[in-house]
Amino acid sequence: MNREAFSPRLILLGRGLAFGLLALVPLVVHQEYYLHILSLAFVFGVAALGMQLLLGYAGLLSIGQAAFLGIGAYTSALLTKAGWPFVLAFVASGVLSGILSLVLVPITRLRGIYLAVATLGFTIIVHLIFTNEEWLTGGTLGIMNITALNVGTSKVAGELTLYYTCLLVLLAVFLAFHRIVDSRFGRALQAIMLDEDAARASGVNVTMLKSQCFVLAALVTGFAGSLYAHHAQYLNPNDFTFWKSIEILIMVSVGGIGSLAGAIVGAFVGVILPEALRAIDQWRMVIYGALLVVFMGFGARGLAGLFAALVRRMLPSPVAAPNLERASVRS
Amino acid sequence: MGVAQLIELAVGGLAIGCIYSLIALGMTMIIRATGIVHFAQGEVVMLGAVFGIVSLAAAKLPFLVVLLIGMALAGIAAAAIELGVYRTLRMRGAPLANIIIATVGMSILLQNVVQLAWSSEPASYPKLFAAEQYSFGPVRLSPQLLWIIGLGVVVMLGLQAFLRYTRTGIAMQAAAQDPEAAQLMGINLTRSTAYTFGIGGVLAGAAGVLLGSLFFTSFSMGFLPGVKAFVAATLGGLGSIGGAMVGGIVFGLLETFAAVWVSTAYKDAIGMVLLILILLAFPQGLAGLFRRNR
Repeated sequence: MNREAFSPRLILLGRGLAFGLLALVPLVVHQEYYLHILSLAFVFGVAALGMQLLLGYAGLLSIGQAAFLGIGAYTSALLTKAGWPFVLAFVASGVLSGILSLVLVPITRLRGIYLAVATLGFTIIVHLIFTNEEWLTGGTLGIMNITALNVGTSKVAGELTLYYTCLLVLLAVFLAFHRIVDSRFGRALQAIMLDEDAARASGVNVTMLKSQCFVLAALVTGFAGSLYAHHAQYLNPNDFTFWKSIEILIMVSVGGIGSLAGAIVGAFVGVILPEALRAIDQWRMVIYGALLVVFMGFGARGLAGLFAALVRRMLPSPVAAPNLERASVRS
Repeated sequence: MGVAQLIELAVGGLAIGCIYSLIALGMTMIIRATGIVHFAQGEVVMLGAVFGIVSLAAAKLPFLVVLLIGMALAGIAAAAIELGVYRTLRMRGAPLANIIIATVGMSILLQNVVQLAWSSEPASYPKLFAAEQYSFGPVRLSPQLLWIIGLGVVVMLGLQAFLRYTRTGIAMQAAAQDPEAAQLMGINLTRSTAYTFGIGGVLAGAAGVLLGSLFFTSFSMGFLPGVKAFVAATLGGLGSIGGAMVGGIVFGLLETFAAVWVSTAYKDAIGMVLLILILLAFPQGLAGLFRRNR
């Protein structure tokens, strides 16, 4: 669904340019630290896309994404340790995460806040399993020395491999979701979000579609988890508390609920801002919290909305912007 | 397990359940009136505990006075946050999801401000009761737990009376049920919402002083109880006052018994599994048992 006032071709150009620039960054930036942070932003970009599909296109408020991130991460870490090649472990992470999300499929019929609480409960359960099942996950000590992604031998080559792998996955997921939200499936999801009863009355199989959406988001978040494991090379159960779910939710809200590109931008802000604020040390989280509060007042569609408004002002547009307020969380 | 031990456990579970109930009540009232899931409610709990311990350090006050101070100041703080922050966001037309995220931001903000302004070290309330334990035959109970139950029940009864018998309380209920009709009847919505947050803050402040005196007081003490109380409120069926009370107490008992009977490591998980099962059976929480369509 194209809600922007300017032409689709312009948007495509802008997005292509943005991804192109990101692909060129390593040519200019050589500090491993910066590349490492950007790679992490890509990883969370993938997770945020999954969350965006749930919240922005189906209106499902999940606080359970950290669990799927963790399932993907542990799967990938354990399988590569067992000798699997990364690509297979990566696929398996997503698939296993998707399969385990089937356990939660019955709860997708809950609405609004009840769904949020049930997925919150799931995150807490999975976190406890990570913490307590030491034979599998290493317990509170976590898993150390996870295989690094490296096609070369030097440390720099490793950082570049990681960077481009994450970027590639992000691009692939973005393109896939871009098609999905414009497909029959995506339109049906949006119909559910805008009015579940009306969608049901129009012959949309609401329960089925919600479940499929949930599994799809879990699959993608599992992929993100796999990347996360090889990015950090160390996993700890406390990386996957429900707080991580909230962080992913924050990314989506900051970027703009209902915008795929916004979710990626939000992930960049969510990863880079706390790093950038490290300079002010003890005030860091105070500023972060305050910015978050202030930012939420900046309009319904987050950074994506602000950006669209800005571009619209600079480019005289023949089409008036449709004003579509989205009912995103309904109880 | 003997009967005595069973009673001791039940009392412990009831006490922690009362604390959850107090927090859950505030959250429920806020959800009912505004739809906001107030993630910073746990931080209001923490504020109550910190105000209490600071006032106790300034002057040797009796526990009841400390409790009242904690309640009053936490209530004022919560109302001020609503008027200063959430109301501003609503006036700017921020959608509900954004306001809920803003309450997460508020939670981060409050924790870190208190950490900087007060202390990053946990502190304990001074010993409040002379007797170590009361003995009833073979049953030994800590006076602290009994006081928590007693005071918790008194505060909750006070809330019921306030909502039922005072003009402000009735106006708040009316505004929560149908804001537009209430406004037509001359109820000031801004004021009634601020009262809702304020009363919720008073309850959270009470929970804070009780929780702080039971364990310890620190800038991060409120977050987890806040989340658990939110779960308890959902368990009870959001939007029902009685449900929140029952939900809190049930959750406290569940947690305590699960820790002993099943496993300490998985005590939180058991509560959550039950929560999911209950929601599957009654998508509207326990209150749905009594009242099918809301």
